[in-house]
Amino acid sequence: MEAAQKQAAEKSGFSEYDYSNFYYGAGDDPINLLRPYADWYREARPNGYYLYQEALGSAPTTHVRVKNGSTGAWQDLLNLASYNYLGISYRPEVKAAAVAAVEKYGLGASGSPILSGTFDVHEEFTAELARFKDKEACIVFPTGYSANVGFISALMRSGDTIFLDQYSHASIVDGAILAKSKTIFFRHNNPLDLERKLANVKGKKLVVVEGVYSMDGDMCALPEILEVTKRHGARMLIDEAHSTFLFGPNGRGVAEHFGLDKEVDFHLGTFSKSLGGQGGFVAGTKDLIDYVMAFGRSRFFSCNLSPVLTAGLLAALRIAASEPQLRARLWSNVAYLRRRFAEEGIDIGKSNSQVMPVMVNNDAKVFAVAEKIQNRGLFLNPVTFPAVPKHKSRLRISVSAAHTEEDLEQAVKVIGGALREEGICR
Amino acid sequence: MSITRYGFRDVISGFFEFPTDNARRVLPRGIEPFELHHGTSIFAVIIFDFDESEVGEYGEVVYAVIVPPLVREGRLPQSAMFPWQVATTTKAAREHAIERWHLPHWMEDVEVEFLREKSRMTAKVKAEGAPALEMTVYEHSWQPVSHLYQSFQKDDSGSYLASILFEGDKSEHEDEKGRIVLHDSPFNRDLVLSEVYETPFREQWMRKGCQLFDPLLKL
Repeated sequence: MEAAQKQAAEKSGFSEYDYSNFYYGAGDDPINLLRPYADWYREARPNGYYLYQEALGSAPTTHVRVKNGSTGAWQDLLNLASYNYLGISYRPEVKAAAVAAVEKYGLGASGSPILSGTFDVHEEFTAELARFKDKEACIVFPTGYSANVGFISALMRSGDTIFLDQYSHASIVDGAILAKSKTIFFRHNNPLDLERKLANVKGKKLVVVEGVYSMDGDMCALPEILEVTKRHGARMLIDEAHSTFLFGPNGRGVAEHFGLDKEVDFHLGTFSKSLGGQGGFVAGTKDLIDYVMAFGRSRFFSCNLSPVLTAGLLAALRIAASEPQLRARLWSNVAYLRRRFAEEGIDIGKSNSQVMPVMVNNDAKVFAVAEKIQNRGLFLNPVTFPAVPKHKSRLRISVSAAHTEEDLEQAVKVIGGALREEGICR
Repeated sequence: MSITRYGFRDVISGFFEFPTDNARRVLPRGIEPFELHHGTSIFAVIIFDFDESEVGEYGEVVYAVIVPPLVREGRLPQSAMFPWQVATTTKAAREHAIERWHLPHWMEDVEVEFLREKSRMTAKVKAEGAPALEMTVYEHSWQPVSHLYQSFQKDDSGSYLASILFEGDKSEHEDEKGRIVLHDSPFNRDLVLSEVYETPFREQWMRKGCQLFDPLLKL
């Protein structure tokens, strides 16, 4: 080992590195990075990374059993981490529908949707979903990830240009990569930067935005971005993973919230968030859906959604569509928690949705704060670089309609106490 | 050969998004850029105010592309770069760096002016007597660090790797406060200026520290 390396090695510590250091490595062997990563992770995990991928031992209701990643002990915690925004996944009607479906169909679809994997329940579900979205047709994918990957690569080609918000979800970025189109990122929610980048670009252009961005919980500046998009002759895809079934007078999403549902060209969403299930969808004209059915490879070459899951989703969709009071309850909880956080001096950044980042802004402390909070009864996830910018580390909270005021008060008390002890809020 | 030491008062650097197409134009065949996003690579501007070296005090401006580090036995570097243009304020510094480190140089002296303010530092660079660039970075919290980096060089004599330890107080953040102005100058001839985003996504500032170079390794 050379002198500078040796001197550096003596001062090495896990906190000097993060995931981004182990993504790229030059050399002749593709497994070169395994050993350095393993060495780092062995030290990083007990120092806070164990808080990721902790196993749950109960349904993702407002309270969950969590197997502590450090001790292996089960903890009963207030759940602020699950995407189950409307508390639907464990409703009796949903479970009953899934149980009935498993009796009727067995476990899985056992085939691609275009061959032997489409069942009557899939047709019923997509028809109801299209009615809910007020579109001619819908198509479902096995996951939200595959919906973005499949849809974007179905529509765009080499030589085309895709414009992505810099905070786009990985599935959107991967869709653009698979499409082999030129990809240009614009600054987050910044129509001026998008305009600068759209100017003078010829050919097919697709702008992709998200209804709600999952790390900051802020809504898309849709009216301004859509205006720029249209003026430059581009098409727009909105991914409403975190906003379908929640925003707008009918719960159709952020596009409906802004009264722009008809102006946005392509609508995408997931079932893993507000419906508490799994899968993704695209809604639009029949011609669009027929085309995606033919060219959406991530769907075409996957097994279809399990009919059991689909039956549960159908029941969940009917609840979301017929019980607007769930949305009202969610927004009441969001307003309550936002007010209480403000009173306690807790910074939730730019959030204006049910996704709230509690800003810690200290990469070195975020795991210690998260650990303290978990040991005091809350389940939530720390998020740090490279998932968010350096020194913008945070604890991400998902508010649910099912939370009670008592739950939210407990959250404020525990989070505020931990942040104050660390000198992060007043 | 032993370690070569360069002491500095300040080093500021900005990491800027620029198209991978542009990165590939300045990289030699066989070296890939480290992409920040698909299609977006990292243009690093590093400006040194050296106060101690074998060739005295001098200023230095480095234009580099961030590239994957070479993974070898020993400590993994924080990152690696391929400098494609280095400019110095003195001829002695230039000749020293070409001879010892095989760094590709701008062959005339440049002028570097450092403007230190309370929470930010600006460096103004002139080449051929005209403004070439101005870069401002802002401070964050300061921590003493000892960070290992790699630098790849390639010239007619071969390919080389320098392992460089940076020691000193360091401030680093991604608050997107800083700015670069790249003038229409021959100094920037390898860049499509309109495609370099003017705000750095990462700003680094080191002060009262040193660079320790291991002997150059021929690859």
